[in-house]
Amino acid sequence: MTLLTSPLAVVELACAAISAVILVAYLVFRPPLVRATKIGLLLGLGVFPIGAAFSGNVQGFEATKERVFCGSCHVMSLHQADSDDRASGSLASRHARNPMFGSENCYACHANYGMFGTVVTKAGGMRHVWLYLTEYRNTPVEEAKKTIHLREPAEMNGNCMQCHSTDDTLWRKVPDHRASLDDARTGRMGCASEGCHGLAHPFFQAPAAGEKR
Amino acid sequence: MNAPRFQWWLVVSCVCALAALALMTWQIFDPTVWPVIVAMSLGQVLGTASFAAFGYVVFVDYRTRHRAEKASPPIKAE
Repeated sequence: MTLLTSPLAVVELACAAISAVILVAYLVFRPPLVRATKIGLLLGLGVFPIGAAFSGNVQGFEATKERVFCGSCHVMSLHQADSDDRASGSLASRHARNPMFGSENCYACHANYGMFGTVVTKAGGMRHVWLYLTEYRNTPVEEAKKTIHLREPAEMNGNCMQCHSTDDTLWRKVPDHRASLDDARTGRMGCASEGCHGLAHPFFQAPAAGEKR
Repeated sequence: MNAPRFQWWLVVSCVCALAALALMTWQIFDPTVWPVIVAMSLGQVLGTASFAAFGYVVFVDYRTRHRAEKASPPIKAE
């Protein structure tokens, strides 16, 4: 549970509890609006709730990086189950077993990188929520497997190259890497594609060549 | 604004703040899509509204007292 692992969650709960005590006390006793009441309410309605909101927001942003969060939309349940499966050989699962990615492996591979990467990723996440509400809320998983595709598949190699830089000598020793260097860097050839390292989520149907995604 | 009106605003403000706190802490126990989104949207809006209502009451109270003092200035000793 988040509470046990995050100091932010403890801070949020503490602020919320103190605030709740002050507010309930006001509702029970209804004291006149003198200076002491105003100060008490300033703490109960302002200072502690703002503390709870601030720590809660940071906590919430951290929660959105977790695989559990991504998998809480039913159309992503197969992705989550595959990453959780320690016997799976998919790229997603193998990265999930890497402690550098761990429970945040969805975010690590799918988040935009660069200076505004986090902001762009969060904005894209809101788009996912909108699409889920308007199109995929009642879509069976079997159908979602055929219709959900990456919006910008050519950008995905950039995320792979955050770790696999394509510059080091070990990487370049592989003949296929040398031969496809430009294609990999420009995204014309996906690292996670059939013929290279395999699909990251092989149970999802890959879009046919030239298909609009 | 009279005293019962102050009370009413403050009660509404407290109830809204309690609801906001409940929504904001829900995400800790269930960090999935809807609790997190609700905490960061509805929870924030309710909390801000309750604080704004409190600020409004304090402002009106201050203005009322200020006007009352102006209308009847304290008697100076001769």
